[in-house]
Amino acid sequence: MSDVALNGTNMMAGAAATRASVLTRLRTTDTAFRNLTRLAVFAVLALLSGVILALIIGSVPAFKAFGFGFVFFVIDTPTTEKFGALAPIYGTLVTSFIALVIAVPVGLMIAFFLTELCPLWLRRPIAIAIELLAGIPSIIYGIWGLFVFAPFVQQYIQPFLIDTFDGVPGLQNLFAGPPYGIGLLTAGFILAIMVLPFVTAISRDVFEAVPAVLKEATYGLGCTTWEVFKHVVLPYTRVGVIGGVMLGLGRALGETMAVTFVIGNAHSVSASILAPGTTISASIANEFTEAVGDLYTSSLIALGLILFVITFIVLAAARYLLLRLQKQGL
Amino acid sequence: MATGRVNALYARRRLRNTMAQGFAYAATAFGLGWLVLILAVLLFHGFGGLSLAVVTQNTPPPGSEGGLLNAIVGSIAMTALAVAIGTPIGILAGTYMAEYGRHGKLATIVRFINDILLSAPSIVIGLFIYEVMVAPMGHFSGYAGAVALAVIVIPVVVRTTEDMLRLVPDTLREAAASIGLPRSHMIVRIAYRAARAGIVTGILLAIARISGETAPLLFTALNNQFFTVDMNAPMPSLPVVIFQFALSPYEEWQRLAWTGALLITITVLALSIFARSLTARRT
Amino acid sequence: MNIASSSAPAPGASQAGIDTAGLSEKVSIRDLEFFYGDSRALKGIDLSLYANKTTAFIGPSGCGKSTLLRVLNRMYDLYPGQRATGEVMFDGENLLDSSVDINLLRARIGMVFQKPTPFPMSIHENVAFGIRLYEKLPRAEIDARVEHALRRAALWDEVKDKLGASGLGLSGGQQQRLCIARTVAVKPEVILFDEPCSALDPISTAKIEELIDELKQDYTIVIVTHNMQQAARVSDFTAFMYLGELIEFDVTEKIFTAPTDKRTQAYITGRFG
Repeated sequence: MSDVALNGTNMMAGAAATRASVLTRLRTTDTAFRNLTRLAVFAVLALLSGVILALIIGSVPAFKAFGFGFVFFVIDTPTTEKFGALAPIYGTLVTSFIALVIAVPVGLMIAFFLTELCPLWLRRPIAIAIELLAGIPSIIYGIWGLFVFAPFVQQYIQPFLIDTFDGVPGLQNLFAGPPYGIGLLTAGFILAIMVLPFVTAISRDVFEAVPAVLKEATYGLGCTTWEVFKHVVLPYTRVGVIGGVMLGLGRALGETMAVTFVIGNAHSVSASILAPGTTISASIANEFTEAVGDLYTSSLIALGLILFVITFIVLAAARYLLLRLQKQGL
Repeated sequence: MATGRVNALYARRRLRNTMAQGFAYAATAFGLGWLVLILAVLLFHGFGGLSLAVVTQNTPPPGSEGGLLNAIVGSIAMTALAVAIGTPIGILAGTYMAEYGRHGKLATIVRFINDILLSAPSIVIGLFIYEVMVAPMGHFSGYAGAVALAVIVIPVVVRTTEDMLRLVPDTLREAAASIGLPRSHMIVRIAYRAARAGIVTGILLAIARISGETAPLLFTALNNQFFTVDMNAPMPSLPVVIFQFALSPYEEWQRLAWTGALLITITVLALSIFARSLTARRT
Repeated sequence: MNIASSSAPAPGASQAGIDTAGLSEKVSIRDLEFFYGDSRALKGIDLSLYANKTTAFIGPSGCGKSTLLRVLNRMYDLYPGQRATGEVMFDGENLLDSSVDINLLRARIGMVFQKPTPFPMSIHENVAFGIRLYEKLPRAEIDARVEHALRRAALWDEVKDKLGASGLGLSGGQQQRLCIARTVAVKPEVILFDEPCSALDPISTAKIEELIDELKQDYTIVIVTHNMQQAARVSDFTAFMYLGELIEFDVTEKIFTAPTDKRTQAYITGRFG
């Protein structure tokens, strides 16, 4: 017995040694891979921190020169080296607001259509078609807007609006001015088309998650399809819808190319939404490469910082809302 | 079933229902209508300009005919580099979040950060790369453009990789572990293979996204009217050329802009539809 | 009205034993067939539901009792691919007919579901919602009707101080009684209960069974239940179903003490379920 044991130990010792080296090798590559993935994750973190840091550092000269009142200055005249952010901020907010005013009701109604009214076989094709709107690059919206939509607005819509509201106290100034075709309203409208698919897609997802038995209970009382939607589906999915809207808002705020083509690039704040204006991203896009002087460049970077902060807040809020939804199991 | 209930109130309710449904149909037609309109106009204006010259000649000086060769090549070069840089980082980060740190605090934070980056205004990305690459280097370059695009690729790939890996059932992982396969091997040999279609879809969608991006290139790669493959110098790209040509007063340039726009749109839509069909087939 | 002679009873159905003196037919089901797509789920159902009585549908899983219940208020209409043929006579009309106004039908034939489904509104609004659909009443009257409905559902005492609170904050049993109050507020003629207690604890179940007993004074009740003892406690008539067919329909006492069909016998003695 001891002979066998001795022989066996020799063989096993050899095999064990090989196995040990294999295992060590496997363990090293395993650890290496794991650390690689960790590195990648930190790279993502570094990216965001880097963006914020770079923007802050770049905008320091501007804030040093103008103080935080920078946000409220209207004048942006390169010659006098006096820059202000009010016009771009105003334009960003107004165009995004117009976009939401149009996109939210339309998007919700399209989601209503897709979940309640549309025949089953048409649902996927139409949903895909609406999502294609989101896939079209913004520069396409830009040139389409400039060459096709703006002239249309100039010829038909703006004169109509100007005439209709002429003499109406309060609203008259909102729709005043020569019909340029381009301007805040046109930009807002194009943004609406771009934001629409976001609102529709997320709304559709949350609408479909409403428990069938809840809808049946409402139908069971004799409610019409619209009443079921308005009184039960919408309140039930309120949080998700708001999350989707805010996501769309985040997109609208940061949109550059589509807006640059049709906003008119006028650094002015005007009461009329038919007037040309500018947005933060449009200003940066149009002026950055020609910005002469460090102060000008720094001001534009400061604008970029402001934009990033605004979109960060909106997107963070949207994610938070949608996260809460997930926790509820919706 | 005439009862006391058929009254003015009920009639109003039915009217409201009909009107709401009508509005829903109208809204859908509205949305679809714009899609059709945009695509139709694109085809109309861009198709006529499609010719061999577009892919054989470079961008012309104002007032003369030409093509988009240098822009196309530039776009392809920068896109390829961006994907080469961004995809590995994205896949690795997504792998960490799905496999190693799935429920950890780090993953939660990164998921949040990633979502912010995903929807961040791309012009801000351009500013960032300007600050960290163009300014120190002293000149615009195709490299800077590619890196800016890579920054856009990364969050898309991270998201889809994580989502797809999470779909891989844990039973598969347990089976691999039970035969002594170390974690990393299990991930690379089994999980990746199982999630392959989804991950590829993510990459395709990222390519589709950056194909149309203009803003991040505006002050990183700038533009170049000549043909070049030197990535260390300003590089032309299709979106930026379209931007420049469309806003110009020259008819030839505007025509080329439409043709370029058509090319981009076809690429983007084809990629999106192809990517979608990949995942659809699996389910 | 002699049931046995009004139409040929479905094979296996035993209805001849019912003494119809003093009974009036509220809903009369004749030769009802139901299809999920191509597959037939209900086969030739002949059944009478009597006014101000409680009828229970019992049977093993998949026998079609819920399907049958949901035909009565055309709930299947919500799902394309589901259809019914035959006759379900209610107030002189066949409610399966496409000319029937579904919303009004559902106002007359209400339903309480297996899972309590309070609307995302306050308790008061949950009940008032249904009332406002059909009647324009001043605030005071609506409040009175809400109180009346909540009393009928034996919930008033528990919620009278928190009518503004969300309906979702109530316990399961209370939520179910809220749903009953909501249904009752609309003043239906028939109330359908689809396994109303299966998601509730025994105490809430007992309360609701008590409720159903009182409600039948004013309404015609139909209840689907997989709990045979509940059927025995609560109902006047019981219909035993199996594999989409009506096997036996009779006075509850007879079904549970001396059933005619041996399949009924096997089910109620627990031989299968």
